[in-house]
Amino acid sequence: MTNTVEPSIAVDHIGKIYYPTPGWMRALVATQIREPVVALDDIAFTVNPGEIVAIVGPNGAGKTTTFRILVGLTTPTSGRATVMGYDATRQSASVRSLVGWMPGDDRSLLMRLTCEENLRFHGRLQGLKPKAIERQVKRTLELVGLGHAARKSIFALSAGMRARIQLARALLHEPPVLILDEPTGAVDPVAAHQLLNLITDIVAERDIAALLSSHRLEEIEALQTRMILLDRGSIRYDGDLQTMRNRLDRPCVELTFATAAAAATAAKMLDSGIAAGSAVNVDGVTVRCILPHGTTQGVVLAQLEPMLADIVTVDEVKRPLRELLAEIYGATAGPAPSTPEDEQRRQRRQERRREREGEGRNLQGAGRPRSRR
Amino acid sequence: MTTTTSSIEPRRRTRGPARARPSIWSTLRAFLRMEFIEEVSYPMTFAFTMLRSLMPLLLSFFIGQLVSGAGARPVGGDYLTFVTIGLGVTAMLQGALVGFGGLLQQAFMRGNLETYLVEPVPWTVLPLAMNTWALILGVFNGVALMILGIVLGANLDYGQMLGFGLLIALGLAATTAIGILSASVLMLTLKSQPILVVYGLAASLLAGSVFSVSQLPLWLRLFAYMIPHTYVINGARSLLMDNPGSFEMSFGAAVLVLSLFSVIAFPIGLWLFRRSLEFARKMGLLSGY
Repeated sequence: MTNTVEPSIAVDHIGKIYYPTPGWMRALVATQIREPVVALDDIAFTVNPGEIVAIVGPNGAGKTTTFRILVGLTTPTSGRATVMGYDATRQSASVRSLVGWMPGDDRSLLMRLTCEENLRFHGRLQGLKPKAIERQVKRTLELVGLGHAARKSIFALSAGMRARIQLARALLHEPPVLILDEPTGAVDPVAAHQLLNLITDIVAERDIAALLSSHRLEEIEALQTRMILLDRGSIRYDGDLQTMRNRLDRPCVELTFATAAAAATAAKMLDSGIAAGSAVNVDGVTVRCILPHGTTQGVVLAQLEPMLADIVTVDEVKRPLRELLAEIYGATAGPAPSTPEDEQRRQRRQERRREREGEGRNLQGAGRPRSRR
Repeated sequence: MTTTTSSIEPRRRTRGPARARPSIWSTLRAFLRMEFIEEVSYPMTFAFTMLRSLMPLLLSFFIGQLVSGAGARPVGGDYLTFVTIGLGVTAMLQGALVGFGGLLQQAFMRGNLETYLVEPVPWTVLPLAMNTWALILGVFNGVALMILGIVLGANLDYGQMLGFGLLIALGLAATTAIGILSASVLMLTLKSQPILVVYGLAASLLAGSVFSVSQLPLWLRLFAYMIPHTYVINGARSLLMDNPGSFEMSFGAAVLVLSLFSVIAFPIGLWLFRRSLEFARKMGLLSGY
């Protein structure tokens, strides 16, 4: 059967290298990097309508750079990215009207404005007609569960509500493509779960193509969606989670012994036997052992035959996704090089910390909080 | 996974709310409304900023009491009227000059800039839309200053207000162009507006807002001719004062030079801004400051 669905997002072998600022510019502003940094190296994937694709990767993997290329905030050094068939570099204005973008930073909201004024502002910049703006603002606020907070200023909102208003802003013009950069990054796990459910429902209902990134692996697992593992600008895996588990995961057995001494002896036996070269961990009376592919519990028990009387329980354990990913990423030694954007984000985090510390001092001195513009 | 996109044709939206390509007007409305709300959120800051801007005229009023007779000859004998026009026009042009750069800097620091840039607004419309609130405030400020001058005794020829309005409009266009040029450099330097620093120093010294350009040495006067402020201030004095003093500039010459300046500098400013934005985009400079 031939699949005739045209992808909403198509990333076609794009590469991105950040270069240090040229010499003539360094008189104006110091460069943030000294050597060229490869942020993306020949990555390719597509996202179809109604599909959510989660991009996962450590800091510096290239997630944000990919997103920024798609919304036109930076350009690829090689390759081509299209959104609904429009070239993200050359037809940026068309692309920008088709994409709903949610940045990972709630500072992008206009803090002094109310929720509805924030949405009206973006509705006007999206070119919506005045009547359509009013209708969409009301409808979208209801959709994200903020109808009751329409007239509250952003300052008065919790982190979870701010994430929702950012999502509302991305959805206001009913785009066919959503790009969500760490949408749950600043919210608590319960609010994150609700937000992801909301996103999943909207994507299904509106047949939107959604690309999102997250550091919370349990969320990716709960989404049960296609996942792209990025590492140092390259795709390490593209597919569903279960297939990845089947391909990369290895059986993990947890045995509980009657005594710690028995556990230690068993660990030694496994380490020198069937689990040689694999991870064997002892924690008191518990031994956790990652086995080679195709090894069954029976083989483990056969190996430990002289100690069967000391075994209290045997469990096959499903390894957490983070452990699996750490193993995959662990194959690449050393931290990823930071891009100018990583560097800028780091600086912003430091500045925010300094601001908070400053505010703390002001609060101690002044006795009451001061509002910031 | 290999993907080839060359065969994918652009698709039109088939659903969604009624919309058009964002017009200059809708973009302008968006920024005006946003800036208005921000401004009224801080009423005390607004009041004190206005009050501060009136202080130079009060200072000049008392200096004018000292300068009379022969001392006031280069300024036409009426220092208060002379300085009311000089300071009023300068205040009007100030908003146009620094407004866009200021808002751009603020957007960089707050993290709003990227959300403006991902909207489908043509990037050359942004400088104009972002500058308008500051421009309106600047004009309001200048008018308040001139009203204060009149209250203190300045004597203006009210019959020439139409011509004065034309001069101000051209002056605003010319200084907006300089503001955009400076903001183009800001896109790359992220934190300072070197062009405005140089221009601000030059304008305060050379344009003759509080003294006559004729009092400058000849070589400095040549530089004065390169600054739009000089033409607006001295053209306005020719229109509104009976005797503008020893440095008289005809209204026609001022209009001609300002028109030429606007026609040349405006497209250059917008072009340079777009180029800077493209360069910043390529280098990954947009996300921070």
